[in-house]
Parts: sequence; C-alpha cells; structure tokens
Amino acid sequence: MFKRTFATVAALALGAGTAFAHVSLQLKEAPVGSTYRAIFQVPHGCEGKPTLTVRVQIPEGVIAVKPQPKAGWTLEKVKGAYANSYDYYGTPTSEGVKEVVWSGGNLADDEYDEFVLRAYLTKDLKAGETLHFPVVQECPDGMAERWIEIPAEGQSADDLELPAPGVKLIEAVAGH
Amino acid sequence: MLVRKRSFGRPGVLAFLAGILWCCLTGMAMAHASLTGAVPPDGAVVGAPPKILYLSFSEPVSPLVLKLLLPDGQARSLDEFVLRDTTLEIPTPDGLGPGTHVLTWRVVSEDGHPVAGSTIFSIGAPGSAPQAGTEAIDWPVRSALWLAKVAMYVGLFFGIGGVFATRWLIPCKGGGPRLVGTATLLGLVATILSLSLQGLDALGAPLAGLFDPAVWKAGFATSFGPTVAVLSAAFCLAVVAGRSGSAVLNRTASLVALVAGSAALALSGHASAAAPQWLTRPAVFVHAVTIAIWVGALLPLASALRRDGDAGGHALGRFSRLIPLCVALLALAGLLLAAIQVRDPAALLSTAYGNVLLAKIGLLAVLFGLVAVNRWKLTGPAAQGDRKAVRRLFRAIVVEALIVVAIFAVASAWRFTPPPRALVVAAAQPATIHIHSDKAMAEVTVAPGRAGPVEISAVILSSHFSPLDAKEVTFVLSNAQAGVEPMRRKAELQTDGTWRASDVIIPLAGQWQVRIDVLIGDFELLRLQEAIEVRP
Repeated sequence: MFKRTFATVAALALGAGTAFAHVSLQLKEAPVGSTYRAIFQVPHGCEGKPTLTVRVQIPEGVIAVKPQPKAGWTLEKVKGAYANSYDYYGTPTSEGVKEVVWSGGNLADDEYDEFVLRAYLTKDLKAGETLHFPVVQECPDGMAERWIEIPAEGQSADDLELPAPGVKLIEAVAGH
Repeated sequence: MLVRKRSFGRPGVLAFLAGILWCCLTGMAMAHASLTGAVPPDGAVVGAPPKILYLSFSEPVSPLVLKLLLPDGQARSLDEFVLRDTTLEIPTPDGLGPGTHVLTWRVVSEDGHPVAGSTIFSIGAPGSAPQAGTEAIDWPVRSALWLAKVAMYVGLFFGIGGVFATRWLIPCKGGGPRLVGTATLLGLVATILSLSLQGLDALGAPLAGLFDPAVWKAGFATSFGPTVAVLSAAFCLAVVAGRSGSAVLNRTASLVALVAGSAALALSGHASAAAPQWLTRPAVFVHAVTIAIWVGALLPLASALRRDGDAGGHALGRFSRLIPLCVALLALAGLLLAAIQVRDPAALLSTAYGNVLLAKIGLLAVLFGLVAVNRWKLTGPAAQGDRKAVRRLFRAIVVEALIVVAIFAVASAWRFTPPPRALVVAAAQPATIHIHSDKAMAEVTVAPGRAGPVEISAVILSSHFSPLDAKEVTFVLSNAQAGVEPMRRKAELQTDGTWRASDVIIPLAGQWQVRIDVLIGDFELLRLQEAIEVRP
C-alpha cells in the first residue's frame, strides 16, 4: 500500500508537465473482449510543419471501429476484409474499418490535439501483449511523421525511433 | 475505463491512483524531444566559421554531451551553451579551420530520455584532412627491385639496342664493343632475377626468400610475368645476334630482339595499363624502340670514333641523319604518355610520380642540350676527320651515355609511384556493402568510398530478388567509435530504380554504420543495417 502510494506520488511529481513528443494513446491499458476508447494524442507536427492529416491503421483483431468526428477535419473510414472472422457479441464479423483518416485539418506544430475512435478488442487478442495502432501524421510538402514501428521480441518501444502507440492488453473483465 | 465500473472506496481510489500512475509513467516513456532545426543547417557549406551554433528542438532540452568533431578527427567538447525556449545556442570554439565539422549532440528532454543526433557543416568547402596510411616499406626488396629495373633498362637499351646498332647502323668487326655484350648479359640476369623480386614484393616477403619457388611463381603471376618471358627471350636472341657467324642471321636476330624487347615493356607497367590501351601500348612500344635505337647506337659510335679512321666518320654521318627522327618520335610518345598519366599539371608537383617525371625531364633537358651542342659544334668537324673534335665527341658521347643511365635510374623509381591517373581512380573507388535481412536486401554503394562529399546509392530488392516497391528510403549513418550520432539523409528514386542521396558528407574515415530505412507502405518500415569501411 505504502509502496504503491509512494510510487504514485513520485510518478506524479516526475510526470508533471511532461510533454509528449510521440503520438501516444492516452489510455495505456485495456481488457480484451471490451470496447476501448482510443485517444490518440498528437503533440507536434513534422519538423515545425503543421499536421494536415492523421491516419490510424486498425490492427487485426480490432473490430466495430467508430471514429469520433472532429470539427474542421474530414473523416474517412477505409473498409476492407479482415484476415480472420471475429465474434462480436455472438455475430461473426469478417470485414470492417481497417484505417481511419482525419484530413483537411490544420494542427500547428506548437499546438496539441486528440483524435478519438472507439473499437471492440476481440477476445482473439492475447492478454499480456501490447496492441499497436500505427499512426501517420501528414504535413505539407510531402513531409510526414510515421509512428509505425512495432517492437520485435525482446525490444521495448523505447528502443525504437518511431514507435507506434500501443495499449497493454489485460485479461477480460469477469462478468462480461 | 476499468476504474469507472468499480464502486468507490479504498480499492477504487487505489485503482484510480494506479491509472494516473500509468498515464504518467507511460507519458514519461513517450516524451522524446526531436530536432526541428539547426543553424548552420545540416550539410551546409558556410564561408566563414559560425560564431554560434543553434539547435532547435520540439521541446526544451538539457544537453548531456555537445561535441564538435574537427576535420582532423579531433573532438572538441562544447561546455558553454544557452537554452532559449526550445533552442540551444552554442558558441563555437575559436580558431575553426576550413573543412567539415560534425556537431554531435546528446540531449535529455523533460522525461529523462536521452536523444542523440549529429549535424554537419563545412567551412569553405567540404572535405576532410587526409590521414596518412603507414605501410612498412621493405627497403632491401625495394632497392633490389629498383636496381634490377635499372639493369634491365641498361640491358635492353645499351645491350639489345647496341647489338642492333652494330648490325644495322655502325658495322664493326667482331661482336661490337665489349660493353654492349656485358650490358646484354647484365640485362638478362637482372630480368630473370626481377621475376623473383616482383614475387617478393607481391607477397610482402623479405629478401631472404629470393630463391623460394613459391616467390618465383607469384612473380610470374603478376602482370610483370609476360614481360620477363618476352624480354628474356629477346636478350637470348641478342646474345645470338652478337655471336653467330651468319650476317643475315645476326641482322635478323638483332632486329627481332629489338622489337621483342620493346614490345615486352609494352606488356606491363603503369603506362601500358593506362586507358586507352590502343594508344598507350603502341606509345610505350614506340618510346622503347626509339630509345633503344638512339641509346643503343651511343656505345658502338663511341667505339667507332675511338678506333678512328673512315668507319667512325661514316658511322657518325649515318647516326646524325637517323637520330633526329628517332628522338622526335621518342619525345612525342613520351609526351603523350606523360599527358595521360599526369592529367593535371599540378600533379607534377603534388605527387611522387610527377616529381620523378620532373627529374626525368630535367635530366633530359641536360642531355638534349649536350646532344645539340655536339650536333652543331662537333659533328661536322668530326665527320671530316678533325682529331680534336673526334676526341671531344667521344668524351661527349660517354657523358651522354652516363646521363642516359641516370635517366634510367630515375625512370625506374616509377615502379614505386602510382601515377596521378591511378591515384585519381583509386580515390574514386567506391565502397560497397551488401545487406541482407529476411525481408529485403540492399546493395549499397558509397562513392567515392572515402571521407568527404560522397553519393550514397542503394538497390533495394526483396529477399526473393524481386524488385521492392519502396515509398521512401532514408540513409542513416553513424560512427559510434568516433562519437558521431546518427545523421539521416533522404534518398531520391532514380529512373533506373536505384535510390540515391547525393548531398552526403562523411566527415571521417573509419568504420561507419549504414542503416537504410525503407518505407514500404504507409505503415510498414523495414530497416537494414551493416558496417562499411570508409577510406581516408
């Protein structure tokens, strides 16, 4: 108890005012077999240039994707077939949104914004693993920031230059 | 989120705190600063040393290490800096010279995660100070090689050339002057020995291995092998031409020896190896034949003059008519070869090869001066039998012959000096590596493969040798040993399918890590990495 509280306080003290340089997910943990609210935090543009487009690739095993529209941005849902069929509360689902694109906006390099989608994390996903959502920020003049690297076995996201934002999967909540 | 579904109370509070902890911890791990700009910009060439270097980051940073690598490879630590908002201002040390500098930085952003990188700028022009390679020179072998070469020239030009002269130009009784025969035998022995010496040089073996069969074999395997074979045969023919009883046989043998001996020189050596070979090989041949005719005639002529009588005057007349044409061809072929080998007149002073050529030209000037004086002052009276003129001419010819030997000695030094042409080619030689991973492979070329401005190109294929459609390719270079953090250069796709970055400066020689970031789709990145050796 004391240890945990201490760690929490220390982390709060250390973490205060932390700037996020990579695109990251705000909620770091989610149980499989549940609906997850993926909040993508975009901390800056491409080497000083504003972000015009944000593209999120939906990983396999994530279905029933519903992105949240944003004022000033055009929302596009790229649909296609999944590699496998997944169970969504008793309904087999084999196709759906594979990529979400927010475009036409203008997020300056020195501004911050969040992009949100809601999705169902199927029970086919393994608890204990980290689920990665590769994200691409597109800027003017063909510039882009790509947060698309997924750590190989034995690697951590810190070893990567361009880590894809990830969420740690935990066991399904009982009673669901 | 999970917490919201629980009832309030102690477990709920704990879970809530734990949630915040998660956010903070992971937030820390995610917070990496990135470089958003530098002054001078990465890869820039500036006229004067900058007073202050600027590095701008995406967020405020605190420097851990700031280092400036100078063109001579020395590192200067930069301890003074000012942070203004997100920009680091670093005053440069005094006395920065021209050349390529690398600003290597390692900073920590607010989360405590170090981030590192390098930016390059050049003052004046890109380049790096050459670091002299130290190769141990085996002086005994080298001296022996040089001596053998001089003896070979003496044998070919005084010996074979002399035999030719006695058979065709200056008839004399017997086998001609004894010196000619001696020179021929000397040449034969030196040529055969030089085979082993070439072998020693090729294997890097000491002089003690002179009679090791393996060394002889190695010598024969060098480009010098055919030269030795043909030249030895020519010497043998010359010996026959000096001793056989038949005049026709003697004349034929001496002519064949002359042609074969000169052709042997065209078979190997710097000059014959130069392009275009259709021009350089005949030029070497003409150069050698004309030297042999001219120089070869000197000893028989001196001998004829010494004996006095009509024969001497007669010979002198023939010599003076033939030699100007000979010398003109000789000079023409020599100039042509020099132009091909040296290319840039500045190389005459800046390279060892050019220095040898200058020395040779100096000796030639003395020789031609002497020849001209003899021709205009002495030849006429001597041909008419003026005894004093004849004696003076004899002495002058002996001096000429000695100068010729000195020229051979100088020219033999070329054996050890690569011509500027070859230096240019060697310097431009690219460094290449092949990188293979389970998903892709790349053939990477750094041209030229030495420190300074280079062009990096890569052919990228899938691991099944089929073309790989890349969206974007970035070269990332780093040299951990020299403390150079990764520098990245975006590559452009060329029409022939290669990816090329031409604005790259490699500041230091040594082992560099080359990483190729290949973007296949919007969301797929492949990384290939390998070490490459960069010459000074």
